[in-house]
Amino acid sequence: MLKLRKFISLMLVSLMLVPLLLTGCGSGNGETSKNVGGTGTSETAGKTGTSGKTSITFWNLSTRQEALDPIVEAFNAANDDVEVVVSYYDTDGIKDACKVAASSGTLPNMWFNWGGSLGGFYADNGATYDLTGYAEDNNWPDVFTSGSLDLCTFDGKLSGYPTAYNVLNVYYRKDIFEKYDLEVPKTFEEFEEVCAALKENGVTPISTAGLNGWHVMRFVELLVEYYAGEDLHDKLSAFDESWDNQYVVQALAKYQEFCEKGYFPEGFVTANPDDTRLAMMTGECAMDIQGQWYDGQILSDGGDLSLFGTFALPVGGTDRVSAFVEMAQFNAGNSDAELEACIRFMDYYLSDENVEQYADYYNLPLPKIGSEASAEYINIPDIMETAETNGTFTITDQAFPAEVADGLFNVQDALANGQMTPEEGAAAIGAAVEAYQNK
Amino acid sequence: MKKKVNLKIGSYAFLMPALIIYVSVIVIPVFYSLYISLFKWNGIGAMEFVGLSNYINLFLNDSIFLTALKNNIIWILLTLLVTMTTALGLAVMLNKKFKGRTFFRGFFYFPCVIAPIAVSIIWRWIYNPSVGFINEFARLIGLDFSQSWLSDPKVSIYAVFVAALWQALGQPMILFLAGLQGVSIEVLEASLIDGANGTKQFFLITVPLLKETFVIVIATLIVAAMKVFDVVQGLTGGGPNNATQMLSTYMYSQTFTYNNVGVGTAISCIMVVIMMLVIVPYVSFTAKDD
Repeated sequence: MLKLRKFISLMLVSLMLVPLLLTGCGSGNGETSKNVGGTGTSETAGKTGTSGKTSITFWNLSTRQEALDPIVEAFNAANDDVEVVVSYYDTDGIKDACKVAASSGTLPNMWFNWGGSLGGFYADNGATYDLTGYAEDNNWPDVFTSGSLDLCTFDGKLSGYPTAYNVLNVYYRKDIFEKYDLEVPKTFEEFEEVCAALKENGVTPISTAGLNGWHVMRFVELLVEYYAGEDLHDKLSAFDESWDNQYVVQALAKYQEFCEKGYFPEGFVTANPDDTRLAMMTGECAMDIQGQWYDGQILSDGGDLSLFGTFALPVGGTDRVSAFVEMAQFNAGNSDAELEACIRFMDYYLSDENVEQYADYYNLPLPKIGSEASAEYINIPDIMETAETNGTFTITDQAFPAEVADGLFNVQDALANGQMTPEEGAAAIGAAVEAYQNK
Repeated sequence: MKKKVNLKIGSYAFLMPALIIYVSVIVIPVFYSLYISLFKWNGIGAMEFVGLSNYINLFLNDSIFLTALKNNIIWILLTLLVTMTTALGLAVMLNKKFKGRTFFRGFFYFPCVIAPIAVSIIWRWIYNPSVGFINEFARLIGLDFSQSWLSDPKVSIYAVFVAALWQALGQPMILFLAGLQGVSIEVLEASLIDGANGTKQFFLITVPLLKETFVIVIATLIVAAMKVFDVVQGLTGGGPNNATQMLSTYMYSQTFTYNNVGVGTAISCIMVVIMMLVIVPYVSFTAKDD
């Protein structure tokens, strides 16, 4: 009897601990969400109710909430037949929420997403509405820029409504360059000379931060572009060529050399990318690879935008820059009425009046033909013109599936800490690609 | 007799709502996780049965998993050696009567109520190589010393552990404090009369009398060590180069970032088994004398 009681006690303890462990890891990023704009409580795909209203659900980033709440409210008030219910998540939260929803068939009618492998995952698995026919019927090629539509297209299927087209350039502190009599570099060799001169004068040349890998990647991918050239870089991104080659080794060797020379801030390997702005504001660093949204961030931080200029890193060829797209994806299971309601809302969301009123919450300019950013964002026209004339390549963490991108990020860390040689780094990235392809 | 039967039915009826919730949101998902771990599945597409392949690949072909496993074992050992002993030491000190005792009890418990992600933000600034408290303090006292605490793979896991320790001390300390208050003063006085000094009294009287407290503290600390996530994710994201990768962070990456849901759930099942291997014999052993 005593043994039985002991056994039962142990079983109860075990059962108590199992869920503790399994559920313990679930708490964290972005689990809280808030519905606004409607009376519905469902966070998944809405439906036409008995009132005749088409209810649509929309998941978006919490950083857009300040603008989206009043926009949804105004839209619902002006449209008797449609009700938009929006939920908010943080950056990682929306990725998790969408994946969990997709696995249980409860995706909302539309959701925010990025291009590349993030948005492509839903398109590849048939979870997104194929908008190709709709776009042709409604002349989208005359409305949206071709670059943005291309980045929303997966396997020939248009799988998203473009909401932003982001281009990255080198932001630099003009006052620091002037102080040390430095010119904007025209060649990569000149860029290295600029870095050396800045370092000699006690300024860390490049502000970057390695937590999560992607900020450092912005520089590494440009080194790959420089050494491999445009064609090979495109083939590497598409996995048509092995990463275990001499050009990648050269790129990684140059990155390691920059690390050893102290061209990045001390301890950058695990620094938070949000903190790179601080180093630029204080003048501790002189350059940072950022997208056109950086103008808005500098102004929001109370910085003096006139101190900042931009240039494309001279990486040879046409000096291409990296780009990525943001979009709204629509549920493959949407009815015609739901699809029409979704697109009607998105058209309203990106209308001139809303963009003008809530400019700080959009990544301007919009991916629409002829769209321009406000005049106060003085660097944006140059950045967009650079993208137009120099051409773009898809940013690496969107070109790569996440596990290969993480393989690259691990190599970046290991090179920075001297745990790996460039040859071993190239081989490790090649192995990560191979493992993914054999999965 | 009838009243007794009615009482039993009533008791079960009151238990039913909690039981239904527990079974539907905890027990069934746990077993479903075990089921999923036998499949290759990206979370959306078709599930392909692969048997124990996910488990075999993790142990034989996945160096990151082995690194994470090693890190979790280090974390458990550090938790038992450092967190538990420090918490016990603090509890013993705070169990003595002195002026300001209530303040210090609150002071040492306070970090426990801070969200782990906030802890990681606080310690990120403390560890900052340029303007962080530790390096600045070293400079202030004239030491020519600078350390990238989180970026150096040799020290990063210990740096993250210290941040976690700061927050984790409060709970075991309170449990020990409660246990110490249950130790009979008469027994302690008797031991003094019998000639026991402070050290002997602590190890031969106090510690054995805290046996039940140790069981719950050790069990909860091991569970906490196995599922450590937020602080690691916030401070290093598992880096640099997986130096602070934990089973929980790797499970998260596999499941939510890489879309390898079968592999991710296999890792969570392994975590449960490891935890059981440690806790069940321990609980069983300590229950023997009862």
